Amino acid sequence: MHETVAASATATDAERSSRVAGERRKLLATRGWRIGDWPAAWLLIAPVLVLFGIAVVYPLVETIRLSFFDIKGLGKPKYVELGNYVRLFADPAFRNTISTTLIFTVATTFVSVSIGWLLAMLCSFAPRQTLPFRVMFFAAFGISEAVAGYMWIGILRPDSAGLLNAAIGLIIPGFSHPWLGDPNTALGALIVAASWGGVGLPLMLCFASVQAIPRTVLEAAYLDGATPTQIMRNIMMPLSLPGVRVAIFINLLGALRAFDIIFILTGGGPVRATETVGYFMYRESMTQFKLGYGAAATVVLLAAVLIISIPAIIQRTAGAR
Amino acid sequence: MTMSAITTGIRRRTVLAGVSLAVLLAASPALAQDLSGEVVILQWQGGTDAEMWKKVEEAFVAKNPGVTVRELNITAQGDARGGIRTALLGGEVVDVLINTWPAFRAELVDAGILRPIDEQWATYNWDGKLNQSWKDLGSIDGVAYGLTYTYGDRSGIWYATEAMTKAGIEPPKTWDEFVASFDKLESAGYATPIAIGAKYWAHAEWFETLLLRTAGVETAAKLARHEIPWTDPAVKGALKKYAELLAAGCCGDPATMLANEWDAASDSVFKAKTSAYTMIGMWNNARAKNDYDLQEGVDYGLLQFPSLGAGFDDTSSVDTKELNVTANGKNPAVADAFLDFIVSADAANLMAGYGYASPSSAADNSLLGPVQQIATAAVAQSKVQFVLGDLLPGDLVDEYRVQLQKFLQDPSDANIDAVTAAIEAKAAEAY
Repeated sequence: MHETVAASATATDAERSSRVAGERRKLLATRGWRIGDWPAAWLLIAPVLVLFGIAVVYPLVETIRLSFFDIKGLGKPKYVELGNYVRLFADPAFRNTISTTLIFTVATTFVSVSIGWLLAMLCSFAPRQTLPFRVMFFAAFGISEAVAGYMWIGILRPDSAGLLNAAIGLIIPGFSHPWLGDPNTALGALIVAASWGGVGLPLMLCFASVQAIPRTVLEAAYLDGATPTQIMRNIMMPLSLPGVRVAIFINLLGALRAFDIIFILTGGGPVRATETVGYFMYRESMTQFKLGYGAAATVVLLAAVLIISIPAIIQRTAGAR
Repeated sequence: MTMSAITTGIRRRTVLAGVSLAVLLAASPALAQDLSGEVVILQWQGGTDAEMWKKVEEAFVAKNPGVTVRELNITAQGDARGGIRTALLGGEVVDVLINTWPAFRAELVDAGILRPIDEQWATYNWDGKLNQSWKDLGSIDGVAYGLTYTYGDRSGIWYATEAMTKAGIEPPKTWDEFVASFDKLESAGYATPIAIGAKYWAHAEWFETLLLRTAGVETAAKLARHEIPWTDPAVKGALKKYAELLAAGCCGDPATMLANEWDAASDSVFKAKTSAYTMIGMWNNARAKNDYDLQEGVDYGLLQFPSLGAGFDDTSSVDTKELNVTANGKNPAVADAFLDFIVSADAANLMAGYGYASPSSAADNSLLGPVQQIATAAVAQSKVQFVLGDLLPGDLVDEYRVQLQKFLQDPSDANIDAVTAAIEAKAAEAY
């Protein structure tokens, strides 16, 4: 009897699983592509592909191609195989830009994201009242780096008329320091200026993550007697980590490619103390017009961007099928 | 003689006369070509220079009503060569180029972009307006490519008259007087007697004139061609003289120099009045008049670099601007005519109104302001050498300026050795 019941149950399970599999296949079949759909699909995505090809793929391929040529000014290009790359890594000026870029990128990202994250937590306790504050911070993110650069020139002027020197002068009369001219402070001043514009995005992303936390979780914490600091540390901060990760990713890429603010504030100086790979690339390509050499630096920068981007993109899109 | 023979004779004479006229006209481009159509000028100057340039173009069009001028504007901060190269490589076709870099002229010639102007020189008789030295300046291997239309003294030191009065001094004539003036100026409230903008390139001005005044134009020319190394005692000697200036407390904190460029240095003298002297090209004249609203020769003056007594006090560093014509320009006749116009009395006198000296003998130098007249006279009496930085290959010039920044940070003999060795190492790759 037991055997009959067991056999019957097994048969029922097998039928059920077979039915589910069949339904799934049917569903997949209806969701799948039919050969007849392909022309329409290609036609629909063709404009994007063409634009992408012109604006991204062609310049990219051309840059990589140029990096194998020695081009000086308007002279004829000479194929040098990997010569530009060999020279690049032997060039003390380029090696210096690697460490400067690393410091600038990590510091700018750390300052922007940590301040943005902290402000997002604080704003979450009074979302309505802090709206103008959040808008102001986000507006800074929207300001062109060139405009921000000129604003920071006013702040960091070397004489006592500079805003920062004037502020310190209230405590130490007659104080003046050439923040951007002193190699010991130039990179720090540049990091502060670049971070200022970068706070808005982490603030908004982290704030949105906190807003997505179910209200019941926060209410339960209140009822259990958690203090605002404990709620922030144990609930809001951990649950806003996805937003922080996106902010880190975006800020890292932005800092790695930074150019405008460096161009305006320091021009890579003093004595190349603030020259990043991005600025080096510009200097070699546009002021010295060594297009091949500059292209090799661009490819190195591109590789760095890809090293950061690919894992992040894989992680962000892992769930998509 | 039959009627047909007469007619044939007349026809022959007519044809002969026509052919002769055509040959005559062809020999004189100014007459042969109908000056009409559009001429494209690649223009990269800004501010007062751009304004002056517009007036020059308008004056040319007024003389040639059939001509229109189109400017291809290059927006550039600092060195415009990158923008010009990009425009030309990008397929822009221009008839006339404004150029101020001899090394760039050579690059354009090598790339087949420029058209020689020897024929035009003869046809328009520019020898009557410009002497041989100006022709040589615009030539490469004896072939003329550039027509110089303005030049500037780069060995002049700008000073604020008020600073001299407050310090109770006259503009110094000798090196010793110049160095001695620093204490008096400091006592009069000018904490940094000389304003040097070392953010990019302006700090090299002092070195370049010191090199001329301590070693002469031949040495500077050899250095530009890398016929002597940067570790040569002549280079070190000029840097030691520069170090003397720094040791005398001329210029304040090196970090402040490195934070500023020439325009900020100029502001320190004429606006903030914290410095008394600055050394920069003649374009500062237009800035002083237009931006600071100062009266030339009254509120400010120009003193020629103080004499060092090393046997080379008759030397000056100069810059020039020239016009080049392109091989692929659409309107070569009008381009040539524009070159002729730029050295005419009309254009030269118009430029004089903006404070720019013309090398043309057609120019009326009495139209120049008092400061520009001092500079013009100084250049006329000097053995001149083009600004060194503009003669160096692109690779080298950047290293040269950065190493001079390092020199400002530490002007010791040991660092002079290190700095010159670093420039020499780059020069060895660049030539």
